[in-house]
Amino acid sequence: MAHSLSGPGKRAPGPRFRLDLMPYLFILPAVVIYVVFNLGPVLASFVFSFFKWDLLTPTAEFAGFKHYNFIINDERFWGALSHNFIFLGLAVVIPVAIGLLLAVFIYEIRRGRVFFRAALFLPAIFSGVVIAYVWKWIYHPFAGVLNPALELVGLGAFTQSWLGDHKIALYSTFIAYTWASFGYSMVIFLAGLQDIPTDIFDAARVDGANFRQKLFRVTIPCLYDVFTFVITLRIFTAMGVFGVIYILTGGGPFYSSDVIDIYVFRMIGNFEMGWATAAATFNTIIVVCLSTGFIKWREWRSWSS
Amino acid sequence: MEFVSSNLQRRLRGAPFYAMLVAATVITLIPIIWVFASALKSNKEIRENALALPQEWRFQNYIDAWFGASFDQYFFNSIFITVTSVAIVLFLSSLAAYAFAKMRFRGNQLIFFVFLIGMAFPLSAKLGPLLSLMYELNLANSRIGLILVYVAGSLPFAILMLRAFFQGFPQELEDSAALDGCSRFQFYLRILLPLSKPSLMALGIFVFMGTWNEFFQALLLINEDSKRTLPLGLNAFQDEYFTDFALSFAGINITAVPVIIVYIMFQRNLIEGITVGSVK
Repeated sequence: MAHSLSGPGKRAPGPRFRLDLMPYLFILPAVVIYVVFNLGPVLASFVFSFFKWDLLTPTAEFAGFKHYNFIINDERFWGALSHNFIFLGLAVVIPVAIGLLLAVFIYEIRRGRVFFRAALFLPAIFSGVVIAYVWKWIYHPFAGVLNPALELVGLGAFTQSWLGDHKIALYSTFIAYTWASFGYSMVIFLAGLQDIPTDIFDAARVDGANFRQKLFRVTIPCLYDVFTFVITLRIFTAMGVFGVIYILTGGGPFYSSDVIDIYVFRMIGNFEMGWATAAATFNTIIVVCLSTGFIKWREWRSWSS
Repeated sequence: MEFVSSNLQRRLRGAPFYAMLVAATVITLIPIIWVFASALKSNKEIRENALALPQEWRFQNYIDAWFGASFDQYFFNSIFITVTSVAIVLFLSSLAAYAFAKMRFRGNQLIFFVFLIGMAFPLSAKLGPLLSLMYELNLANSRIGLILVYVAGSLPFAILMLRAFFQGFPQELEDSAALDGCSRFQFYLRILLPLSKPSLMALGIFVFMGTWNEFFQALLLINEDSKRTLPLGLNAFQDEYFTDFALSFAGINITAVPVIIVYIMFQRNLIEGITVGSVK
C-alpha cells in the first residue's frame, strides 16, 4: 500500500506537505477483504476463462476463445440463458405490479399500515431454501395442497404435475419466486409514495380524479426513479436466480427450467472450470449491459421529456 | 352532523382497499400457515387429506426432526457465521465509509467506485476462481472462509449506505472535536458511531438476514455436515427425509421460526435497511 502512495508524495508542491496516511488506514481492511474475496475472483474469472484449467487450478496455457466456442455451441447454455430471459420478462412485470398495487392500497388506508406491510412482506424474509421447500410441498403430487385445493373450488381441470411437466416447471418456479419477491417492490414503492408531497394527491382528488386516473397520471409518474430502482433489482435477481429453482426442479425436467447460475454451478461440480468461467463471464457481461443500459435509458428518458 | 357523515364517507372510501389487502394477506400467508399446520399432523393424515387441519397436535414431529439431523450444530454454525460476519461488516464498512465521506485523499472517488461496481456483478461471476482460491488458502469447507466471503460480499452495499449517511454529518462537529484534541479515530469511535446507531442497526439487520439466508456460496464452499449452516442443513435434511412428510414440514419450520422471531422484533429496522438505498 505504502509503495503505491509514493507517487503523489513526490509530486507534492509545498515544503509543508505531509502525506496523510490516515484515510488509507481506514479503508485498508475493507479493501483487502473486498479485493481478495470478491472483486479479485470476478476479474480472475474473466482472465482465466481464456486459459486451460487443471481441475481447480488455472494453468499458464492459453486457450484463446476455446471455452467460449464450447459454450456458444452448447444448446444447454442457450436454453439456460433463454430461461433467465423468460424469468426476467415476467419478473419485471408481475412482482413489480403486485408490489405497486399493494403499496398504493396500504398508502390509501389510515389504520393498520404497519400490520399489512409487515404481513405482506413476510415471505421475503426467508431463505431461498425455505421458500423452495414450502412450494415443493405445495406442488407435491401426493402430499401437496395445490391440486386438492383446485379440485375443492371446482378447478379440477387445472390440476397437474406442477414440477414434473417440462412445459410448466419453469413457470411453477416463477410463482414461488414471485411469492418471495413482490414484498421488496412493495416496501420500496411504499417508501417512495411516502416521499411524494401529499398536496399532489389532494389536488388530484379535488379535480375529481378516480383511482385509475390517480394511479396512472399521478402516482406512477411521481415514482419514476423508484421504478428504475425496483426494476433494476428485478434484473439482478432474475438473471441470478439459483436457490429456488435448484431445489424445486434442479433445472429439470430435461433442462426445461435450467438457468445460467445452475449451469455454472453444474460445470464447476464437473470440474469444467474453463466452461464455467466462460459462461459466468458471458453472463456477467449480459447482466452489466442490461442493468447499466436500462438505468442510462431511464435517465435519458427523464431528461428528454 | 356534517362532520360525522364526512368521517363515515372517508371510512367507506377505505373499505375496498381494506378488502383487497385482507384478501392479499390471506393468500400470502396461507402457504406458511399450511406448512405450520401440516407439521402437526401424522403422515397418514397428510396422505389422506392434505387440506384438513391436524386432528391432534403432534409436537413429537418437531422433536423427531430435531434429532433426525444435527439441527443444533446447524444453528450454532449459522449463529456463529452470521453474527461474526455482521460485526466485521459493520466495523470495516463504517471505518471505510467515514474515510470516503469525510476525508480528502488521492483516489477517494476511484476506490469508492471500485467498491460500487462490486454490486453490479451477478453472484456466479466469481464462483469458479473463488472455489480455487479457498482451496489454495485452506479456507474451503471452513466457517472462517465462509465468513470472509460473506463480509466481502456485503461490504459494497454497506459502504455505500453508511457513506451517504456520514456525509450528512455537519463538518463543525468534527472540527470542534479536533479542537478539543480528539483524534480522527477517537472521533469515529466516540462520536460518529454512537450518533449512527439507528443506521448501523438498520444495516446490521439487513446484512444479518442476507447472511443467515445465504445458500448458493455455502453450497459451493461447505461439504462437511458439521459445518453446514441452517439453509444447507435443511436442504440435506429434506433430501434424506423427503418421504417422511410430517418431519419434512417440521424441518422447514425449525429453520423458519428464528427468522420470523427476528423479523417481528426488528421489522422496522429491516425495512429501513432495504428502502434507505432506494429512495435517497
